[in-house]
Amino acid sequence: MLSRSFGILSRRCEYHSGRVLLAEAVAASETASAKPVSKSVKDKLKRRELRRHSKRKADARKPASSYPLYMPISQALRYLRAAEVGQPISQQIITITTDVVSERGNLNLNGNISYNTPIKDVKIAVFSNDPEKLAKIKEEHNCHLIGGTDLVEKIKSGKQPVDFDKAFATPDISPMLTSQLARVLGPRGVLPTIKKGTVSEDVSSLIKGSIGLMPFRQTGNSISVSVGRCNFSDKQILENIIAVRSAYNTTLSSQKSKKPSLLGKTTITSTHGPGITIDFA
Amino acid sequence: MSAKQISFLNKISFKTKKPQILIDSAKYSGLRLTFQYQNHNGHMGARKFWHEYLPTLKFYNPALQVDVLRVRNNDKSNVRVPCKLEVISKDGEVLKTINMKNQKHTSIMDRLLEEVEHKPVPTKDLIEI
Repeated sequence: MLSRSFGILSRRCEYHSGRVLLAEAVAASETASAKPVSKSVKDKLKRRELRRHSKRKADARKPASSYPLYMPISQALRYLRAAEVGQPISQQIITITTDVVSERGNLNLNGNISYNTPIKDVKIAVFSNDPEKLAKIKEEHNCHLIGGTDLVEKIKSGKQPVDFDKAFATPDISPMLTSQLARVLGPRGVLPTIKKGTVSEDVSSLIKGSIGLMPFRQTGNSISVSVGRCNFSDKQILENIIAVRSAYNTTLSSQKSKKPSLLGKTTITSTHGPGITIDFA
Repeated sequence: MSAKQISFLNKISFKTKKPQILIDSAKYSGLRLTFQYQNHNGHMGARKFWHEYLPTLKFYNPALQVDVLRVRNNDKSNVRVPCKLEVISKDGEVLKTINMKNQKHTSIMDRLLEEVEHKPVPTKDLIEI
């Protein structure tokens, strides 16, 4: 009776998904007489996993043009813009998703992308007591607020609203900021501190390093980042895609593993649009 | 799987025949549509026009600026919400106004073709996947 029921079980297993298989294997291993069955099921699972992994690896090496939905990027963008027509501009976000094939034990890929054209405009405030430096920064960057002690007084008295997203300072004014404005700026997370790395003599390079930086992170078997909005020009989006690729390559080359992860198929899509395979590598 | 996606792309670029026109970009800069989120008071045709025809129009006229302004109006007795299609000139002036209220999306498209100077897209430029 028992053996017959297990016979049915193992036959049924062939049609089941991996998770059900595993659950059944665990249930079967609980009874002592079921040991041979559970072993074969485990073997099956392992072989299936290997098979899937090698298939994904082979797929990752295929050229993008072998996929049925392959298109040059300019044509893909034409379709995406058509699909997004009339939607609010804040919703027309273009995203690219890349498949990642990682070996067992590899850490998830993550890093930062520095975009030529950031998707969101970041308002910057710079504090310094050195007028020369301020003038130089004002020339180089598009800063929202700039000033020294007088600006601190204005913000403290409430005349100047705190409407910036990032703040930088030079060391000469930093103690004053902490003592005077910590209660105003601290809760919003825009108080420049040495610990956060937003206080330096060379504010200019700090700003360059932090504008347009976007973090990315591998989730599951893919990485997905937004590269622009539909009202960006083709050139701006292409430059952003190239920035994404170089960021991925830096992360891959710094991966501490004998077998680095592989990048596979890349698709471009928008909020309401179709997914289209593009050239990436 | 991909058959459904390909048919979606072909609907934009090939299967929808009426809006396969080239609009003179030297004369017209864009279209501006105003209608309700809700279908009542005859605003359904406008919404269908946006969904059925505007993607193709945008696909073959990338320079055409299309703005869709939708107004929320849950009050059925409020009939003052406009339902109109404006054709904008190069200088930002309204050249033509088409009333879309109580009209089907096909007849709105016919009216647009009457009002706006255009020529059909040459057959060799049509894209089919």
